[in-house]
Amino acid sequence: MSEPFETLFEGEEMELSFGPQHPSTHGVLRVMLKLDGEKILDAKPIIGYLHRGTEKLFEKEPFPQCIPHTDRLDYVAAATNNQGFVVAMEKLLGITIPPRAAYIRMILAELQRISSHLLWLATHAIDLGAITPFFYTFREREEILDMFEAYCGARLTLNTMKIGGVPFDLPDGWVETCSDYINRLPAHIAEYETLLTGNRIWKKRTIGVGVISAEEAIEWGLTGPPLRGSGVKWDIRKVFPYDRYDEIEFEIPIGKNGDTYDRYLVRMEEMRQSARIVRQCLDRLPDGPVMARVPKVIRATEGMVYASVEAPKGELGYFIVTTEKATEPYRCHVRPPSFINLQALPDMVRGRLVPDQEAVIGTLDIVLGEIDR
Amino acid sequence: MLGDFLAKLIPLDLFAGLGVTGGYLFRRKETVQYPEHRLEPTDRFRGMFGYDLERCIDCYLCARACPIDIIYIRDHTEVEEVDGKKKKKKVIDRYDIDVKRCMFCGLCEEACPTEPKSIWLTTKSYEGAAYERNEQLYFDKERLMSWDGFLAFPGVVTPAEGQAPGDLKGEKRSESVDEAEAS
Amino acid sequence: MDQPLYQFIVIPLVKIVVILGVLSLIVAYLTFFERKVLAYIQVRLGPNRVGPRGWLQPVADALKLLVKEDLVPGGAQKFVFMLAPALIIVPAFLVFAVIPFGPATRLFGLLPEAIPPYLTDVNIALLFVLGISSIGVYGIILGGWASNNKFSLMGALRSGAQMISYEVPMGFAIISVLLMAGSLSLVKIVEAQQSSHLWFIFPGLLGFGIYFICGVAETNRNPFDLPEAESELVAGFHTEYSGMKFAFFFLAEYTNMLVVSSLATVLFLGGWLRPFPNVAWLGFLGIVPPFVWFALKVAGFIFVYLWFRGTFPRYRFDQLMHVGWKWLLPLSLANVLLVGLIVLLVKG
Repeated sequence: MSEPFETLFEGEEMELSFGPQHPSTHGVLRVMLKLDGEKILDAKPIIGYLHRGTEKLFEKEPFPQCIPHTDRLDYVAAATNNQGFVVAMEKLLGITIPPRAAYIRMILAELQRISSHLLWLATHAIDLGAITPFFYTFREREEILDMFEAYCGARLTLNTMKIGGVPFDLPDGWVETCSDYINRLPAHIAEYETLLTGNRIWKKRTIGVGVISAEEAIEWGLTGPPLRGSGVKWDIRKVFPYDRYDEIEFEIPIGKNGDTYDRYLVRMEEMRQSARIVRQCLDRLPDGPVMARVPKVIRATEGMVYASVEAPKGELGYFIVTTEKATEPYRCHVRPPSFINLQALPDMVRGRLVPDQEAVIGTLDIVLGEIDR
Repeated sequence: MLGDFLAKLIPLDLFAGLGVTGGYLFRRKETVQYPEHRLEPTDRFRGMFGYDLERCIDCYLCARACPIDIIYIRDHTEVEEVDGKKKKKKVIDRYDIDVKRCMFCGLCEEACPTEPKSIWLTTKSYEGAAYERNEQLYFDKERLMSWDGFLAFPGVVTPAEGQAPGDLKGEKRSESVDEAEAS
Repeated sequence: MDQPLYQFIVIPLVKIVVILGVLSLIVAYLTFFERKVLAYIQVRLGPNRVGPRGWLQPVADALKLLVKEDLVPGGAQKFVFMLAPALIIVPAFLVFAVIPFGPATRLFGLLPEAIPPYLTDVNIALLFVLGISSIGVYGIILGGWASNNKFSLMGALRSGAQMISYEVPMGFAIISVLLMAGSLSLVKIVEAQQSSHLWFIFPGLLGFGIYFICGVAETNRNPFDLPEAESELVAGFHTEYSGMKFAFFFLAEYTNMLVVSSLATVLFLGGWLRPFPNVAWLGFLGIVPPFVWFALKVAGFIFVYLWFRGTFPRYRFDQLMHVGWKWLLPLSLANVLLVGLIVLLVKG
């Protein structure tokens, strides 16, 4: 017993397999944690439990039939997934879509962003122990899903955009329903803010947790709210406008400290901005056809294209390679925002406590369907 | 200084949150009591399949449009004598849909060239839960029309009883039948 | 029948049976109450399928838990694993031996003489309550340790630290009541509130606040529910428990809520006394039996518990310690000083 007291406790590390079945891993994420008591020494995300080979599936599907498969990438934001694919295909084929189609697409995408952020808020709050916002946000999300159902017939896996436009025109009364909803939304957001934003426990759990500086965020390749939370003004809708985003006025909310609280505020503000975009789109909705002239069987020329959209989680890009007269992609690579955002997890939680990990996973807003593909 | 201390001591922020949740205590509830009350899907809702064997021209377009290849068609050609002329006629032996694997994307309906569509999805009925998926959720052409063992949404008739795309209650067909009887 | 036999065996036995029976029933329905209140806060209806308006739900739950397979994980310390649920539920029920539900009563003339409805009035009842309820933490720690599960172990460690640190300010908050009442007997404390013409919550508001916060932490409820923090530790110390053993943990938690609420009622809200017991024109409130007043106050506390759960996020472990040691402990000490001074000035 001549050893000094401190060395007795060296090497007392514990490995904890966090997931793939765990209440707070948002699907089937598995994180191997190396712990010293409750302190996280290292974290290693292990993915692949939801791998379905979507990119390989694209290679055998004709272009229009790839779209239902994109629904299943980020399965809580199907509209923006569809949008990413069709925007890339239109860029490749040189199709210009009619203005009405572009506006309908923007409305759908922004509603989808609101719905995805509502889901994020619900799960993020539940991870941090507040169980009630879950039901309030789901109530609002439900109305968005009802609108999707009225528009295209599905609630979650929408398959709602086509190469060259959108499959349907808006049904009767849809604009009024949507407009009414957008009017009511800010009051609901204010309600969540009363429950969480000022709450001292919420602040304690989120301020200073999972900090990532602007430089680090850029080096990790983070996009979406995790990047903007660190104070980088980067939004695909502004820097590379697609559809008709250049005709719409909206702000890019940014944070300052790059912590969980800032990312929370950014997303809350993004919901308001999305509502603003939907409002403008509804007001300006042009008349006309909703589909461009596209041949029944789409044949591509040889080439490759990368196009990205601002999905709720960040930059969602599609890299499509085609051969001459091909009806299906030769290769289609997806740049999923969640996959790249997840990489920053070990850096963000190292040296912090186990409960902070839930806060960070929640704030990165990952969806495993998109990570594993 | 004292103000900060008091603000920390008296948790007004927490009381505001309690106010929100307490306010909801007596608000109207959002729950829909499912088996007794059903939410009615919208007109474009992609529910169970409808199929019409008479309209189907056996063109295979739906099977080809299906991203997951769950529509199985087999046919043979029969030669028929009509007014002394020999006429080839396709007869559908098999038109099966493996509904348990369907992802309800609606591309088959979109591909169908007949008017009105002979395969369609917007039929409101969605209650397809079954105890045995391989048997009960595999529909051949008779079952696709009769919906044998499938729970239709209240008020929706089966395809065999005259349901058609955009005409879930079979009203148009019964009208035309009435007209035919009247004439 | 001999008088002593009657007095020392039969009456206490009947009381024990009645208290245990009623208590078990109340605790079972507390789960139902919690689910209903949470549901109503969350704009949904809650359980309403078993029996009329769901009133048989606790029965169904109990039946399910009774017939469920009772698993003991491989590598678990079997004896300790079995012992832990007993260790946590027995002290929880034991405390009710000294909680005074009401004054001595003849039960509307049914009994020949007035009998107090509580089991016993010990002159060190408060010490008894604090001591016995501290045993519960052993159940949690042993259960978490014996499960051979890392999540359980972490939950158990958190729980141990939490219960020990929150017992200190809680004790000081109770001391402020002692100073006012001048007795450790719970019955005497209630009587002191009657004779001093006011509930102790009014002079002891700060102490009451501290006591209730500590009580919430002691019972591992939101926002201090770290030991079983679902999103972090799956289910904390009872992750590996199933069937009736799990039910014991569950019931113990609810019983502890009842204990803390009853104690708060006795210490600060005048126990079975009606509001403003000495204001004559409020005499019509006396129609309501004392026991009902007690139950109403306890129910109020339980509701606040559930309201908290429906509203607040969860503290982190280190923040919990921070709140306990850096805020509640100094505040409770200051409170003791303050109350002591006032008592000295008033009573001379």
